[in-house]
Amino acid sequence: MSRPERSERGAGLRRRSATARRWLERRALALTALATAAVLAVMLYFPVGVVFVNAVFDDGTATLAFFRAVLTDPFYFGVLADVFAEPLAVRTHLESLVGWLTAVSITVSLEYPLPGIPLPVPWPSFELPAFRKGLFGFTAYQAALSTIASLALGLPAAYVLANYEFRGRRTLRSLTILPFVLPGIMVAVGFYAMFGRTGTLNQLLAIGGLGPFPFIEWNPLAIVIVAHAFYNAPLVARVTVAAWESVDVRAGETARSLGASPRRAFRDIVVPQLLPAVMTGALLTFIFTFMTFPIVLALGGLQLATVEVWIYDRVRQLAYAEAATLAILETVLSLALTYAYLRYESARSGLARGATAPSRTPLFPDLRTALSPRRLAIIGYGLVTVVVFVGPMASLVLGSVTDGSGFTLRHYAFLLERQLEGADYQTLPWIAIRNSLVFGVATLVVAVPMGVVVSVVTVRAGRGGAIVDTLAMLPLAVSGVVFGIGLLQGLVFGIPLPGGWRFQVTGAVAIVAAHAVAAYPFVTRNVSPLLANLDPAMVESARALGASRYRALRDVELPLVASGIVAGAAFAFAISIGEFSSTVILASGSEAYTMPVAVERYLGRRSGPAIAMGTVLLGVTAASFVVVDRVGGRFER
Amino acid sequence: MKRRTFVGAVGGSAVAGIAGCLTRDGENGDPANDGDPEPDDLDLEGELQVATYETMVDGEGTAGPWLKEAFEKEYPDAELTWTVPNNAINDYIDRERQNADIDADVYLGANVDDLVRIDDTLDDGGLLRKLNVDRIDNAERIRDGLEMGDPHGRVLPYDTGYICLVYDETVVDEPETLDDLTEPAYEDALLAQNAQSADSGQAFLLWTIDAYGEDGYLDYWRALDENGVRILDSWDESYTASYMNGERPMVVSYSTDQVFANEYDYDMSRHQIAFPNDQGYANPEGMGIFEGTSELDLAYEFLNFALSSESQAVIAQRNVQFPAVESEYVDLDEEFDQYAHVPPEAVTIGYDDLRGNLNGWVEDWAREFAGQ
Repeated sequence: MSRPERSERGAGLRRRSATARRWLERRALALTALATAAVLAVMLYFPVGVVFVNAVFDDGTATLAFFRAVLTDPFYFGVLADVFAEPLAVRTHLESLVGWLTAVSITVSLEYPLPGIPLPVPWPSFELPAFRKGLFGFTAYQAALSTIASLALGLPAAYVLANYEFRGRRTLRSLTILPFVLPGIMVAVGFYAMFGRTGTLNQLLAIGGLGPFPFIEWNPLAIVIVAHAFYNAPLVARVTVAAWESVDVRAGETARSLGASPRRAFRDIVVPQLLPAVMTGALLTFIFTFMTFPIVLALGGLQLATVEVWIYDRVRQLAYAEAATLAILETVLSLALTYAYLRYESARSGLARGATAPSRTPLFPDLRTALSPRRLAIIGYGLVTVVVFVGPMASLVLGSVTDGSGFTLRHYAFLLERQLEGADYQTLPWIAIRNSLVFGVATLVVAVPMGVVVSVVTVRAGRGGAIVDTLAMLPLAVSGVVFGIGLLQGLVFGIPLPGGWRFQVTGAVAIVAAHAVAAYPFVTRNVSPLLANLDPAMVESARALGASRYRALRDVELPLVASGIVAGAAFAFAISIGEFSSTVILASGSEAYTMPVAVERYLGRRSGPAIAMGTVLLGVTAASFVVVDRVGGRFER
Repeated sequence: MKRRTFVGAVGGSAVAGIAGCLTRDGENGDPANDGDPEPDDLDLEGELQVATYETMVDGEGTAGPWLKEAFEKEYPDAELTWTVPNNAINDYIDRERQNADIDADVYLGANVDDLVRIDDTLDDGGLLRKLNVDRIDNAERIRDGLEMGDPHGRVLPYDTGYICLVYDETVVDEPETLDDLTEPAYEDALLAQNAQSADSGQAFLLWTIDAYGEDGYLDYWRALDENGVRILDSWDESYTASYMNGERPMVVSYSTDQVFANEYDYDMSRHQIAFPNDQGYANPEGMGIFEGTSELDLAYEFLNFALSSESQAVIAQRNVQFPAVESEYVDLDEEFDQYAHVPPEAVTIGYDDLRGNLNGWVEDWAREFAGQ
């Protein structure tokens, strides 16, 4: 072949590849959206649909009997059950409401809120006459309290991480989502070891001659709420930090130069830019704690059972109709809430946003500053986080190297021995670690484009966009138990097809897809508020200058919302690492188990090996969060 | 019941179960013929898939690896594969309902309530085969009192555990009766488990139903509630997370607890065993063969093998449960004998009473506690 021919061929190839690239570029968004829809159809809508059908069909005939039964059962809906039973008897219902309201009273009395300390405090007592909340009412009640607690613990962390510079700030920011990945049993073990009668906290208090206090049993609801905050405050913090770091400070500076006080500038300039992120954190927390299952029973006991607990029980009794009915009601509630929030979020879009990130001030530049009230408050908050977050995790690590008789390495020896001598049907630690990391990275790679595409598609679409966006939040709103059953019945058992074929999806690919489905809403919810705040004129100019929609997204929008994408990616990774219920179903009988699955499998009559595996999970995940954030940080400004 | 009578009962249950079998495998006539006649030459070649629970294969010092190795040594042409379904027997009930394949040949770990759930959900006598006990020579060794009462004769016990109370003798005295637990001396002392999700919790609930009757058990639990009983999700959470962290001085647990306490050098005063009413609730674990097995001969050999002296000793000690066979057929370590306690009287609610009642009992009980 002569030289000119070859170069001609080369040029042809280049032309063709350039054409192909342009073609791909033009359609990149559409193709990604299509792929997203396909993954969702197979891994979410189909399995969930398989279960939900149980709620509306009885022996092949459509029926609302299951809904009627649940809605009118006071056990589920408390006083509302009467309303559902006779929705037209408005007068009766109003009368009972008025009767209840008149019985409300507020009194002030002297109380001694701190046990053992004779300090009288006037205590307003709010006398609510008893009314039956029902399982749904109680579930919503504890979710609301958990959300408040998570905000109270998460927002100060976001404030400190976004505004102050100190050694290890970046590492700390990476580690904020660590609690998020811990299996429920580990959190329970950690909490009992920290707050129990013989726990670390009581041992510390004993040095000061106090205690021991039965913290957990004093108020089980309070400890459950703290545990929920342990899981979700990091989420609130992470989402808010991402938004805070992309706040445009120039507007604030302008406001200051026009004479606004720092407080005023904060309230009028910073708060509105943070609010969508804070509300996102609150929404996610509420939905999560509404769906809570193992933690309430592990720490609070059966008295604090939630709807999800009942769904699990119904599933165990193979009463799928009732389980599906409860799950649909749960989903409807979550989606309604999500829709309300998304309408609010889209109403707030359109703030122009520049690229000047806030600067951070040193946390403790000198001793004088360190003693200022604000710094002292931060120190106080730091102590609280040490007790609530570091305590349980440290107790867990401690539990892995001790047993009833003192220090021991036998739990780790078990892991090592299992790795070296374990049979192939046993769970080997290294395979679990490797799988967790591989699935985590794969999930990140799949979920980030999915989440970004959903954001882009919905962010400027107004009301219609809010509906699509709400439906895209379905993975969060569906009961994990029901999703698991759907995967099992729909994908693992397989669906018979004509010609003797069976449609089955299991193994590693299915696990990554399931993880991505669970994770992409986090990317969306981290990216959407930032994207919505961008000035649409920027994209329009880029398009007017000839950029494809994809180019405009890649070159203009994404760099400006990078902090949200990195936060979303970190969540995607965390979700994948911590995911348990669908992994365990799809990994059954294969070598596709992950670290949380290994933890559960090692639980036996003695939990040492499981706790050691949980500690490995903590270590490996902590290290990889730092890596994910460092790598991701390169894309941030 | 004497051993002979028990074996007779399993065989005799063929009569009771014949209706179910008729529809299942089209057998007819001779009630003694239970459908699995022993062939002239056994096919002892192939892969036997045994479904079981996690702790049989994956915990610390588990019995599974030993069983596999020893079985394959005895049957050189056979391979034993362990499989651990996520939701235990439910997975197979689900598969059966959906007409999905069932690969497993043997199920190891069926409780009586599993049989009840099978029959409540599928056709009566479904999922597992009616066993031809004549093919399992070692079945004669099974102790009295472990019969699981299945009218369809589908399972044989391979071990049993007893639910009892484990307590800290430095804090509370040994409770003599179940009634004692409602006394002020045991206020805020007891940890139990959710009967909806934990085997031990369900066993304790059934024990109270046995003691106070269907009409009285909720009253008893109300009294326990007033005395501050705490009901946590699972045995792990109540025992590992709560009891071991000193949260409470008494927990519903297993009568083999001291075996671990001894092995791990725990303080024995915190691991005292109490049998209130001089009773413990027996939870025999059964094994059976799936209807659709393709390795019938190997499956029967496995059941026989699991009841052999050596297997029984290993299962008992590694699974830390009691053997299913008479003591003359099994040789246990002295330490096991010393620390594993058997209640003076074993109580259990049989198949007939559980059938059709179990779900309702558990749900009524759970609503009592969770009702806000």
